[in-house]
Amino acid sequence: MTKDDCQRYLEDPEANAAHLRTCAKCNAEAIALAEKADVEPPSLDLDALPLAPWEGSSHRAWPLVLGTAAVVAIVALALLDAAGMSPLHVVEGSLTSMDVLRAQLNRAANSLRSASLGAQVVFGAAFVIVNGLLIALLRRAPRGIDA
Amino acid sequence: MRRTLRLFLPLTVVAASLVTAIMAAPSSFRVRGPLTPEGATAMMQNTAVIAALLAVWMFAAVALTLLSGREIRYSSVEMRASALHCFALGLVAVTSFVLTAVVFSYLIPYHVGVPLLFALGVFAILTKIYGTIAVFHAIGTLVAGSRTREQLAGRKWLRGDLAMVVIGVVILGAIRLIPIAGPIIWALASVFGIGTALATKFGRREPWFLAWRAIES
Repeated sequence: MTKDDCQRYLEDPEANAAHLRTCAKCNAEAIALAEKADVEPPSLDLDALPLAPWEGSSHRAWPLVLGTAAVVAIVALALLDAAGMSPLHVVEGSLTSMDVLRAQLNRAANSLRSASLGAQVVFGAAFVIVNGLLIALLRRAPRGIDA
Repeated sequence: MRRTLRLFLPLTVVAASLVTAIMAAPSSFRVRGPLTPEGATAMMQNTAVIAALLAVWMFAAVALTLLSGREIRYSSVEMRASALHCFALGLVAVTSFVLTAVVFSYLIPYHVGVPLLFALGVFAILTKIYGTIAVFHAIGTLVAGSRTREQLAGRKWLRGDLAMVVIGVVILGAIRLIPIAGPIIWALASVFGIGTALATKFGRREPWFLAWRAIES
């Protein structure tokens, strides 16, 4: 059997089906292919797969959420009452802490203004390096699986 | 570029850790004597303030999870998938916020400093709030999340993004009430959160910067 006959069979198996009766090699390959085609795909056990993050995520457990939020709010109000404070005190305290932060920033800026040229250059270099590194880290693509 | 990163990344992480530790350390970090009535009152007031803030966090977390639960979940997954990257990014971002705020304060006399400082403050606060809520979700999922489908199907309440966030708030809030260790752990969680928020672009799965590629002819 010549290679040309095998090639012709490979190019058009249906038209050259008689070739299989004369070529043992092509016949064996055809049988192997037919066996492979008959094999059913392995069954997929969905329960064996790991749980995806999105599975069951849309469920809203309102009794748990509302109950916990109510308990936390009641405990917070009771503690505030026991400490002789009102919720307004907490807001004022938060605003005061913002003022403290702003004062610290102003102090740092004034120190920078009155610092020597060398210190200002070092600060500028640190600013550029840190922000450059931030940009370099932000360029990395997230690795989390589909959510 | 990679060699430069290898050199600067550890140095910046160390420097950023120092900055964060200094910022996060309680101002009254000293050995205390016996508890006086004034000390007890101050402790009570402090606990009340923390509990009130936790209640605010609880409502903010529930509201944000209802509005964009998918984004919060994606950030939470990212935090668990690459925790070290998120932490390093958070440390660098906090340092960057501080340094940039000082630079913007420096520019206040030139009139451009005020709007820039305001924009930076808003961005930093939003990043912290979003990131901390993603941390709540991650902690809740780690502690109370379902491991198998049978477990998930058998649960009535402890399932879903909202429940995970609430569990996270309760756990991290309880830790926050521990003296000295609580504020430090909360600050570290904030660093994680800021890193996660920035790493995932607030859960939107979009790149921060477009990559430039030459047109192939």
